[in-house]
Amino acid sequence: MPILFEAVSFAYPGTQTGVRAIDLAVGDGELVALIGPSGSGKSTCLKLLAGFYRPDHGRINVDGHDVDTLSPERRRLGIVFQHYALFPHMSTRDNVAYPLKVRGVTRAERRRAADEMLDRVGLSDLGDRAPKTLSGGQQQRVALARALVFKPRALLLDEPLSALDAGLRVAMRDEIRRVQREAGIATIHVTHDQEEALSIADRVAIMSDGAIVQIGKPDEVYDRPRTRFVARFVGQANFWPGMVGEENQVETPIGRLRHTQEGVRPGDKVLVLVRPERLDLFFEDHKTPPPNYFKGHVTQDRFLGSIRRFDFAVAGNLIRVETRNRAAPSAVAIPPDAVRLLPPDDNENKKGELS
Amino acid sequence: MRAVTGAYLLYLAAPIMLLFVGSFGASWTGTLLPSGFTTKWYIEVFTDPSFQRAFKTSLIVVLCTCVLNTLIGLPLAYAINTAARSGVKVAARIVSLLPIAVPELVLAFGFILVFSSDTLPFLGTTWLLVLAHVVLTLPYLLNVLLADMASLGLDDLERVAATLGASFRSRFLDIVLPGLQHSLLTGLITVAAISIGEFQLSNLVAGFLSRTYPVVLLQAFYGATGFACAATVILLVLAILAAAAGAFTARAAQTG
Repeated sequence: MPILFEAVSFAYPGTQTGVRAIDLAVGDGELVALIGPSGSGKSTCLKLLAGFYRPDHGRINVDGHDVDTLSPERRRLGIVFQHYALFPHMSTRDNVAYPLKVRGVTRAERRRAADEMLDRVGLSDLGDRAPKTLSGGQQQRVALARALVFKPRALLLDEPLSALDAGLRVAMRDEIRRVQREAGIATIHVTHDQEEALSIADRVAIMSDGAIVQIGKPDEVYDRPRTRFVARFVGQANFWPGMVGEENQVETPIGRLRHTQEGVRPGDKVLVLVRPERLDLFFEDHKTPPPNYFKGHVTQDRFLGSIRRFDFAVAGNLIRVETRNRAAPSAVAIPPDAVRLLPPDDNENKKGELS
Repeated sequence: MRAVTGAYLLYLAAPIMLLFVGSFGASWTGTLLPSGFTTKWYIEVFTDPSFQRAFKTSLIVVLCTCVLNTLIGLPLAYAINTAARSGVKVAARIVSLLPIAVPELVLAFGFILVFSSDTLPFLGTTWLLVLAHVVLTLPYLLNVLLADMASLGLDDLERVAATLGASFRSRFLDIVLPGLQHSLLTGLITVAAISIGEFQLSNLVAGFLSRTYPVVLLQAFYGATGFACAATVILLVLAILAAAAGAFTARAAQTG
């Protein structure tokens, strides 16, 4: 296993913040995205792996070796920092060649390797340029090339796209994915952008308050989140408190809903989750209404370009809906398999809410 | 606005211009401008043994101050910048800024008290003079270096270099020194300029045979005006030379 965290805990000296009992395994060529709000400990995991801090408890293995006693320069991990941290006084090529230079590779050989790496990230013409004359996206590629040129055991990306503007970010994440696949290298990608994580990761680990709360394939964490926090963090969601009834029914403030989830018993208190894009819309009265059919009207309508997001008022409650349809529906239906039942919130008096 | 700027520049330049004119004037008593042209004042200054000695002392002091500042200031700034705890950083900053805040007169009396004792009888030596100048100028170099370290993001550069496999030695030689070359240069020019013109502390600490140029210059004002002007113009040139020497030291320090 290229990267293995075993029950790793760490607190910044003199504080309570840090990470708790982190278990994480990243396989060969796998890309795992660590996401979570700021302060949730995702960057701390990276710093522990890189060797800037030592765990208080637990162990970190890289390629089967315990690295906890190794200094950062001996861990052979390629890291791309948020602001790239290119060496300003070196040319692009010298930046990429630097890891080889400190390893005593001959000048001709490291020049060849650096040029080959620059070629792989699509910058073969820019070797002689100073880093500060490059665009943000180009600097990003240089940093990526520099982190990969010495064939590290694993690649660590610390919010590498957060300094780029939106359009470039989408292109760059595909680029990162392509280069990472080509290199076939185990990768941890830290980000606070859930879309970025879902789109490029093999698996996504969601962190909150110093712990990993769920880890799984992107569609798994999106469709079957374990908690309200996860559901909310990876996408838009309707939440209602619910009480499980007989025959795959659940009582909610908007009415009785049919669901398909197994493993719940009548009388269980649950939190009902419905993703807003899963709803079916109806524009005239339906003769034989489908399950979970609700009449109502649109209260708030937000046009976002590719989709519309509106609030649909049903019996004093709101359902958030996403659609590419431009017309206003008179009724909506929730497919039973779109109804997810999560453990109830600790806070009992929380009413149904949109988030 | 333009008039104010012009007036200010004139106010700044006029004394220097007058000094220059006066240094070539044959006689200057009671009139606005001197009369006659002569170079004898310069010749007199150059052949004056106490001025010759002071000139040499000043050059040595400036050079040593620059070298010592580089040797002490660079590692110190680096240590302050990388100190893990912010409390250490604040304390180091306050201590290093003290010499700027404390009047030079106070510093000088401190030096006299400590170094005129029997256990440390170094008052009047050139080395003590150099030491005094280092104490006085180090904070300026530190400030320039620390500001540059922050704006470069030197912490991040070093971290990334470490992950790329660079040892401490490689990081210092490949990343830290080249990154700081410009600020070290400008810092040393400031140091040289302060050291060359420093009067208060030198006047009290210097021995009779290790007096710096500004200290001896004061004596000149009790004599002929032209002589004093010529000696002052030389100080001006000396200050410019010092700046150049500072630049030179910086370059030597980073290649060596």
